[in-house]
Amino acid sequence: MALIILLAFGAGMLITLSRQINGRLAIETSALQSSFWNHLVGFAALAIVTMVAGSFWPEGAGGAPWFAWIGGIMGVAFVGLGSWLIPRLGAAMTGALLVAGQMLTGVVLDLARGQNTIIWMQIGGVILILLGVFISRKK
Amino acid sequence: MPDTSSRIARPRLIEIIAALATGGLLTLMVLSNSMMAAHTTPLFSSLTAHGVGSVVAGIALWGVWLLRRGQAEPIAKRHIPLWAYLGGISGALTVIITSSTANSALALTGTLALGLAGQVVLALIFDVFGAMGIERRLPRKNDLIALAAIIAGTILIIFARGAS
Repeated sequence: MALIILLAFGAGMLITLSRQINGRLAIETSALQSSFWNHLVGFAALAIVTMVAGSFWPEGAGGAPWFAWIGGIMGVAFVGLGSWLIPRLGAAMTGALLVAGQMLTGVVLDLARGQNTIIWMQIGGVILILLGVFISRKK
Repeated sequence: MPDTSSRIARPRLIEIIAALATGGLLTLMVLSNSMMAAHTTPLFSSLTAHGVGSVVAGIALWGVWLLRRGQAEPIAKRHIPLWAYLGGISGALTVIITSSTANSALALTGTLALGLAGQVVLALIFDVFGAMGIERRLPRKNDLIALAAIIAGTILIIFARGAS
């Protein structure tokens, strides 16, 4: 269990590391170039893992709906914008505001889809996040 | 010589809006990628996302190149170290790790909460000391309060989902 906890914690650190590295590349080149290299290098790394452990066309791939195929398009914008933000906001505020946006839209999505969650915790979370965003703008 | 000691500045409104919108985009991206993972595997989902992303970003770069053809080359900046191109490896590794921990005793809730903690701790270290050639930046008191409020709110929402 201790190892699993460490792994989950480490995975979060890797997100920050990746964003910092991409941010540096964006400073030297452009946000779009940094996003391109992030995807190409990530694809190469995952292709190697797939060769060892997976299938290049697993069962069910053909039946996946179109929406399941377009995550990568959003990924290009996501990584590019993240690389643009890092030198401007710093790593901590970039990470926090991305998570804030993710959570706020996530709660809206949950409500729209009638997802069964504990509503007072959701609302409390939204209030805290909005408060945090507001405070980040204060002098 | 620019000031490289530290930078203490209030985030601009446009930057905050951009960051929130980018986070919203992440919600859609996760929705799409987990839909693919549900039909296939997390590995295949991430592989296709990176593949599609490479093609789309490549086309966009080509478009930019066509538009800018004939213009003067920008002045060369700092030397770009090889590692600056390798951010994608770190991102790919994240997928492999989280898809295994999400299926462990931690479940998705624990994976998300611990991942958030790991993200923030390293981000603060990077900001305070400066890392990967990005200038150091001491967080203001209000940055830390904002950070704490956003993390607390996020943890509440993650557990609201996990408990139901």
